[in-house]
Amino acid sequence: MSDYQYLDVKLKLRDPESGTLNQVFLYGCIYKSLESIFGEIGGQTDLELLKLSADHRRFLVRIPADFLERVRIAIALIGQYQGVPCHFQVLETSATPLDLE
Amino acid sequence: MVRIKNRYIAVQIVPYTPTNTLRINDHTLSKCLLQNVEKYHGVYGLGLIENGFRVKYCNDRTKTAIIRCLHRGQKFISSVLPLITLIGDVRAKFRTLYIGATIIQCNKFIIKHQKQFLDKAMGQMASAKERQDLFKRVMEFDMDR
Repeated sequence: MSDYQYLDVKLKLRDPESGTLNQVFLYGCIYKSLESIFGEIGGQTDLELLKLSADHRRFLVRIPADFLERVRIAIALIGQYQGVPCHFQVLETSATPLDLE
Repeated sequence: MVRIKNRYIAVQIVPYTPTNTLRINDHTLSKCLLQNVEKYHGVYGLGLIENGFRVKYCNDRTKTAIIRCLHRGQKFISSVLPLITLIGDVRAKFRTLYIGATIIQCNKFIIKHQKQFLDKAMGQMASAKERQDLFKRVMEFDMDR
């Protein structure tokens, strides 16, 4: 059993044309949500962005298995990305590495 | 019928610079605690402890307080207490003295703790006059403020 969980996430923006998708903004968005919901103690985890497809607005993240619940909560509750209303849809969760097809 | 389990945390407030009174009331204490829980455990932690949270007793002369919280939210408060360095606008820290399930047990502990402290202070006094002075000061202690 692997200690990590892999998430395949899709970003859905209200206005698909606006906003640039890059690693830094995504990290910031997820960490900000984690910290506001679980605080400085509860929201600390090593999140790793493995792949990013800006065209399809999809990305793969690797997180420790213990933090799956918290990260999913934090991702589900994100309402804005770069000031644009949005939501994140988790397409797949797996204990084995995933790939963007 | 479900019984609601509470936990009562007896804390001592240790100011950075020794003062007689801290000018802290239960409102400022609860505000400070809730703010710090939100900082360290986020809105999730705050939501968990907010229900049932109350500062039951706060004495700024003896610098002790009793905080009531629900049993399930106790670890969120007790983990935050050592991290607090500023209460209201006073530089101070918390010392957790006792965690009990009833307020009576907490009260008993505080009385015992104060008695021990007095005994120790009495023992350290060199002369009989100093001892008498301390005894007088304790007797004049106005609990009603």
